[in-house]
Amino acid sequence: MSDCHSTAAAVGPVILRERMPLIALAGQPNVGKSTLFNLLTGLNQHVGNWPGKTVERREGSFVVGGREYGIVDLPGTYSLTANSPEEVIAREFVLREQPDVVMAIVNAASLERSLYLVAELISLSTPLVVILNMMDVAEGEGIRIEPDVLEAALGVPVIPMTATRAAGMQDFCRVVQEMSDGERVFTPRLPEIRADHRSTLDEILHHIAGYVPTPYPENWVALKLLEGDTEITRTMQSALPAEKWEAVYNLLRQHDDALLAIASGRYEWIGRMVRAAVVQPKIGQISLTEQLDRWAAHPLWGLFILAGILGLVFWLTFTLGSPIQGWLDSQVVGGLSGLASQALIDAPFWLKGLIVDGVIGGVGAVLTFLPIMIIFFAVFGLLEDMGYMARAAFVMDNVMHLMGLHGKSFLPLFLGFGCNVPSIMGTRVIDSKPARFLTILVAPLVPCTARMAVVAFLAPAFFGSKALFVSWGLILLSLMTLVLSGSLLNKTIFKGQRSAFIMEMPLYHVPNGRTIGLLVWQRSVSFLKRAGTNILAMALVVWALSVLPNGDLDQSYLVQFGKWVEPVGRWMGFDWRLTVSLITSFPAKENAIATMGVLFGSSPEVGLAQTLTSTFSTASALSFLVVTMLFIPCMATVAVIRQETNSWGWTLLNVAMLLVISVAAGAGVYHLAVALGF
Amino acid sequence: MLELLVKEIRAGGTLETRRLAARLGASPELIEAMLEHLQRSGYIQAYVNCVDGCKGCSVRDACSKGAQGVIRLWQSKSEN
Repeated sequence: MSDCHSTAAAVGPVILRERMPLIALAGQPNVGKSTLFNLLTGLNQHVGNWPGKTVERREGSFVVGGREYGIVDLPGTYSLTANSPEEVIAREFVLREQPDVVMAIVNAASLERSLYLVAELISLSTPLVVILNMMDVAEGEGIRIEPDVLEAALGVPVIPMTATRAAGMQDFCRVVQEMSDGERVFTPRLPEIRADHRSTLDEILHHIAGYVPTPYPENWVALKLLEGDTEITRTMQSALPAEKWEAVYNLLRQHDDALLAIASGRYEWIGRMVRAAVVQPKIGQISLTEQLDRWAAHPLWGLFILAGILGLVFWLTFTLGSPIQGWLDSQVVGGLSGLASQALIDAPFWLKGLIVDGVIGGVGAVLTFLPIMIIFFAVFGLLEDMGYMARAAFVMDNVMHLMGLHGKSFLPLFLGFGCNVPSIMGTRVIDSKPARFLTILVAPLVPCTARMAVVAFLAPAFFGSKALFVSWGLILLSLMTLVLSGSLLNKTIFKGQRSAFIMEMPLYHVPNGRTIGLLVWQRSVSFLKRAGTNILAMALVVWALSVLPNGDLDQSYLVQFGKWVEPVGRWMGFDWRLTVSLITSFPAKENAIATMGVLFGSSPEVGLAQTLTSTFSTASALSFLVVTMLFIPCMATVAVIRQETNSWGWTLLNVAMLLVISVAAGAGVYHLAVALGF
Repeated sequence: MLELLVKEIRAGGTLETRRLAARLGASPELIEAMLEHLQRSGYIQAYVNCVDGCKGCSVRDACSKGAQGVIRLWQSKSEN
């Protein structure tokens, strides 16, 4: 900055001298207002509070062409309507203090958002300059703006700038001098309001003429009355005679839609300004997104693509993950078991059992499906990062909409695809208590990642090459159960009520390997931590119950318990071991695998998966997978259900309902499969 | 334009900003700006995922980070 700098003198509080030209910096939060203020004033600034408010007031001075200017950094505001103390302060300052120039700072990378305040400021009589800040960010995002065209369209000076690099300061200084010397013509183009509201505005103007307190302009007050501004309405109610106020009040009551109409006029004005000044708004990326979305977000093709992607995820899992899992199971876990057995040959039986069956058998079995989880995490991370997951939500909503399940209960349910816990928490958006509780009831039917991982482990073990179709079918079954429950919910509780959700979908972009890697790493570490804590604890409990009281499995507490619950398991084709595995999945879904690891063991010759294949019939295996998908949710989810409903009654009802659904579905599938000869 | 957007929201269902933009003849960025305006005016509210309830979930850290970066949602307040 050559001739545009802060005064070198005082560092303490600045008192703006009379007749010193005064500049007000206005703008939305985070558009670089403070950066420019600091750049201009350097140390020559004073920070305090606005009178009677806790909002920070910053003022200072700077010199341009030998002349000193006072500058006030107004609080960040989105508009000049009295929605917040900041907005009241900003507009009162502009209207009462009458600065010589208002400098409106806008974000060049987000003109549509920033120009609303300009649309309000431009209607005031104070000279306005628009500073197009963050030009570097706009350029980086492929947005090309023509400042001259924007200046012609707005009718006020426009200065392109990158305040963080002090770029554009020469233009700034030139415009400041020209404005203070009166060399710039100020011919703003104002937003328009609809013709019917124009006549109402004229009527209001007629009623308030002569009664508007200084320094408010009558036109502006009439507009703010139509917009329903609370402060101005209160002011005018006191200022107007009773009959005048009644006339104004009646007009306002008849035109309560004017608020939207006026804002609408401003957005149309913004649209025109942007269309005029922005040359290439991210053309390449948008057209690619639009082309891809013709298929990916299509109500029908989108569903096929989603089904195909889900199939691909399972195919990748089974093709890449399952062989690695099998190798880890037989060679690593089996090998470790063999080594530990040999090393502990003289150790007490309980120590050998604890290490070989409890720790290696239980946790080892769960750890073998880490490759499967990594593939899951990587593929879903890739889909998230490239922007596809939002499309998946959109096309799924179409299906749910067709089935009558939409609106408020959809979003909480959608969140359940990652984990049921946020799904339950997400029901907070539903205000009606019965509707919320019933959404909580069906939320655990959404297949979470842990359930899908258990299916990814067991499906190839039980069904080999048909695992892909079985996995598809299981997800479809869960969703069908959910949709049926949801439809019932919609018809009985929501009674067809429709509420809107607006989704802002990201543009497709090339996925970032580092982001996906980080995501996979975080999720894998989290999974391993659980395997080393909760799952290990559960595996040890299962092992302890399998050896107590006298080391003989057949007389153990676990077998006694298993035999006690076995009759229920028999309905679904389970023996006591499968029944116990299912029950132990309550603390965490992965425990089902850990328990199988303890009960069936693993050796270098035969891995757990092979043991399961040779032990159970297709009908029992299918039934087990169906029950796993629909079974009561994990302990964390049940705890959140209790927390959110604040009722043990509802929590137990939820558990009982899912128990009945899963057992009924399992029994039905088992007997159907047996009848079909499987 | 804002009035038309409010009309679409009041009709209910799930809306997507890019499709809304095409239907209303505006840019997606302008639709997003209008949605933020409607949020400030109290017509709609931003949907906030209650990530504080994820204790015990094995993927909670990554899930909450991912979800916030992927999708932005608003919910109509008119029926509340």
